[in-house]
Amino acid sequence: MERVVTINLNGNPYQLDESAYDALRAYLARAEAALGADPDKAEIIRDLEQAVADKCAGYLSAHKSVVAAAEMNAILGEMGPVEGAEPHDDGEPAQSNEPPHKRLYRLAGDSKIAGVCSGIGAYFDLDANLIRFLFIIAALFTSGFFILVYIAMMFLIPSAQTSAEWAAAHGAPFNAQEVIDRAKREYARFTDGSARGWRREQRAWRRSMREQAQSWRHGWEPAAAPASPVGYVARVFAGLFAFVFSIVTAALLIAFLIALFSLLNTGAVLGWTPPGDSPNWLAIAVLCIAYAALASPLGYLRRSSYAAASGRRFHHGGADGLVTLLAVLAGGALAYQLLPDFREWARDIPDLWRTIRLEF
Amino acid sequence: MPQADEQFAGLRKGLLEFALLTVISVERVYVADILALLAETPFATQEGTLYPLLSKLRREELVDYEWVESEAGPPRKYYSLTDKGRGRLGDLGAYWRHLTTTLENLGR
Repeated sequence: MERVVTINLNGNPYQLDESAYDALRAYLARAEAALGADPDKAEIIRDLEQAVADKCAGYLSAHKSVVAAAEMNAILGEMGPVEGAEPHDDGEPAQSNEPPHKRLYRLAGDSKIAGVCSGIGAYFDLDANLIRFLFIIAALFTSGFFILVYIAMMFLIPSAQTSAEWAAAHGAPFNAQEVIDRAKREYARFTDGSARGWRREQRAWRRSMREQAQSWRHGWEPAAAPASPVGYVARVFAGLFAFVFSIVTAALLIAFLIALFSLLNTGAVLGWTPPGDSPNWLAIAVLCIAYAALASPLGYLRRSSYAAASGRRFHHGGADGLVTLLAVLAGGALAYQLLPDFREWARDIPDLWRTIRLEF
Repeated sequence: MPQADEQFAGLRKGLLEFALLTVISVERVYVADILALLAETPFATQEGTLYPLLSKLRREELVDYEWVESEAGPPRKYYSLTDKGRGRLGDLGAYWRHLTTTLENLGR
């Protein structure tokens, strides 16, 4: 029994069984990769989709509403491989025959933890388990330092998200069968998710599937196609920033909790007592607001770095967070410098509190 | 000539644009027509090759298309040659004759 996927082609729904859908997706992903920087890429992809749709219609009738995998393979066989418009006349070999440039990626599909070892293994053509073994030995001999190295690599090495990147990780030629196999493997992993307990990863995967399914339902807009990769170098940097921001937000949270507890227990934060005899709840409220003002923009930055590092899309730019943070800081600093009223008011806050308390 | 098929693939590939312009020059055609017309010739090709090539020709302003409603489904793109395309086809034809006469005369 196979699941059926409904797709929308120029306003007409077509039903494909799941392997047919995988094959079609792999075909279109390869087409996009082959077209590269073709300025009319979006239009060509639309034409190709339309051609596939026309051919699908030929296989369907009143008694048959689902396109099967074998039929899709026949259709894609008829379509033929998509060739880039500009033939490489300048001695550069056509990319379909040449293994792509090898790059280090994390392979989340073949992972025990985050795919670092399997990525390194793929890069050096070694068994991932050998790399894992070496990592464990190294961690033991350096009393845990290599665990930190692993964690750093987890952040720094982008994970291979698109089929093209996955192929690049292996330095293997990019062919449909491999892509389909991989899709199958990931699907199998997804169905017996409890086996490994990587619930978080599963959830992320499901989310990306949902996003993809949505973008497909929206009529295959090429802009929303699975692969919208940022450059490799940019993703390494995004990984670095994700790492830094994670540490900073974690440190901020710890500092906040320490301050909160010391405020509750001793009524003072790091030897600093709230001025006057202002009420404890007010100090806590101010602390919470300050924490939120600092943490939310940092959270934005962290999440968008993660999104960029994993090649996923994030709906709010990292700039949002940075701008908010800067605005909060700059607003406070400017007001303190330029507005004598504000300065006096800021100095009068203790008195203000006292008055508020008296009012009550 | 199955052997010739393998050996001269590069030659055919180079001439595909010529063949395509020739087909389009006769009458307004859409992709399925082009494929059918070429299918019986050595220039038989597939959508995967044709669409990128047509898009390149259009970018070079050699061909243009217009949408035509069809009874059997969504509207289709019908391609036709532009004036520039006709000029290119003429040049290609002249050059091709020049090449073939040169080749024939070389052997003598």
